[in-house]
Amino acid sequence: MMEKMYVIETRSLTKYYGISRGIIDLDLKIEPGEIFGFIGPNGAGKSTTIRTLLGLILPSSGSGRIFGLDIVKDSKEIKKQIGFMPSEVNYYEKMDVLELLKYSANFYGTDCSFRISELAETFDLDLERKIIDLSRGNQKKVSILQSLIHQPPLLILDEPTSGLDPLMQAKFFDILKEENNKGTTIFFSSHTLSEVQKMCRRVGIIKEGKIIAVEDIENLRKKQLRKIQIEFNHPVKIDEIYCPGIIDPQTDRNNLFFLFSGIMIDLLNVLTGKDIEDVIIEEPTLEEIFMHYYSEENGQY
Amino acid sequence: MVNTNIYTKELKRYRNSFIGWSISIIVFILLGMAFYPLLMQGDMLKQITAFFENPYMKNIMTAFGTSLDMMTNVLGFYSTRNAMFIMLLGSFYSILLAGKILAREEREKTAEFLLTKPVTRLEVVRSKLAVYLTYLLLLNIVMLIIGFISLEIFKGDSQYSLEAFFILWFYSFLLMLTFGAIGLFLSLLIKRGRPITNLSIGIIVGGYFIDVLSRVTLSADKIGYLSPFKFVDARVLRSDYSLADWRVIYFLGISLVLITLTFVLYKKKDILV
Repeated sequence: MMEKMYVIETRSLTKYYGISRGIIDLDLKIEPGEIFGFIGPNGAGKSTTIRTLLGLILPSSGSGRIFGLDIVKDSKEIKKQIGFMPSEVNYYEKMDVLELLKYSANFYGTDCSFRISELAETFDLDLERKIIDLSRGNQKKVSILQSLIHQPPLLILDEPTSGLDPLMQAKFFDILKEENNKGTTIFFSSHTLSEVQKMCRRVGIIKEGKIIAVEDIENLRKKQLRKIQIEFNHPVKIDEIYCPGIIDPQTDRNNLFFLFSGIMIDLLNVLTGKDIEDVIIEEPTLEEIFMHYYSEENGQY
Repeated sequence: MVNTNIYTKELKRYRNSFIGWSISIIVFILLGMAFYPLLMQGDMLKQITAFFENPYMKNIMTAFGTSLDMMTNVLGFYSTRNAMFIMLLGSFYSILLAGKILAREEREKTAEFLLTKPVTRLEVVRSKLAVYLTYLLLLNIVMLIIGFISLEIFKGDSQYSLEAFFILWFYSFLLMLTFGAIGLFLSLLIKRGRPITNLSIGIIVGGYFIDVLSRVTLSADKIGYLSPFKFVDARVLRSDYSLADWRVIYFLGISLVLITLTFVLYKKKDILV
């Protein structure tokens, strides 16, 4: 029996720092050639997951495989095939950009001079400047180049866009799409869903060290979650109407706002005969869907 | 295996500091030894003899492991200075370099870059250790050559045994190596690679004074063995001066154990940057 080959696969991957929680029972499956968004607020365990995958920290229990290789035992082999961009750039300050990129390329035993100058031009990066003299944005560009020059089949990007201006972000996303078209798998962590929704086919949502949902972006949208605003002609109470599927209702004078996951006709029936001025039904942003996942987990409606 | 990419880069990184230390040590040796002919000139020695007859001075000389006989022989004079300055400087260089060469990657957060490249942790330690050993060895070769030259230039009528000079040099080297191993090991115990400069200086100065103390007070003789300095035999004028197995085993044993522990610890360490 052939088991399906995933680019990244973790089984009950768990990391505790002493007694404090890192990640708990993480099960992730990333398929070849996909762009996977890994979403969660700061402190949810995104970086811990990435660090464990890269062998910077050792798992407390559970296991992980990348390209079928064990993340603890075969870390060196795995890292030959990965380009990694950390959330914060920290390089050897006294080196100049070219020196750093060559140092990086040498680890893969490849000559990347052409690719370096090509990418440096794309990102408008001066190769002769010292790392210490670069702005945060420029350091980020070095980090982008460093992750791409050896043309790895897997990119792991930890909040890659922080510190990049919108123009560079667009260029960066273009390059990622280009790489992805060539077959590169991309694992992309972020705390803003709106950022990844442009890029990713699937997202995993992590909260307090646990994966709470893995969804196709399309499915998230198709969940028929709707954002509803009803304006009454009198000040409204929060329990003014009742219908199964109303989530997180809020009031503002005459207005009632909520997310709705129930059956639309039921809601319309409930509304019939009420003193209503206006009804607005919208598709929620992914951000709002995401917040919904969070509140659902907490059970606070 | 040593990763040549890391080795080459790190060698370059610590080159200037090595040159700085080497120059200081060359100056220290040559200037110090230049006093020897002055000391031996005419009535200078007589005055000094009288000065050193004073019991108080005798004690001080014993504390620093020397005596009038030692001071008036060129190798004895060298050995006294070696114990007071050269060995001390070399030990500082050794413990400081070893204490930062690995830990610095964590402190400056470059470990995140380095350890996500295709290298094993053990390759990283081996490569860094190789850079440290290269510079320690080079510094000791500088000491050997400049020491020999200074002895030849300034010896005058005094005779000395080249073998004894070589043995003294080898003890100093072992001492520096041991301090390096201590520095490397301690640097790993500190979270996030915080610098251990003050601790390192404390260890060497402390070790030095324990040794001095153990010489002055007979009852403190045993305490001296807490200090690596105590294991260096600097009595170069004795006819039976030689490399004692137990001393060599002490230095190499401590170094090997600590370096092995460094490998074991670093392999398992969580890199939190």
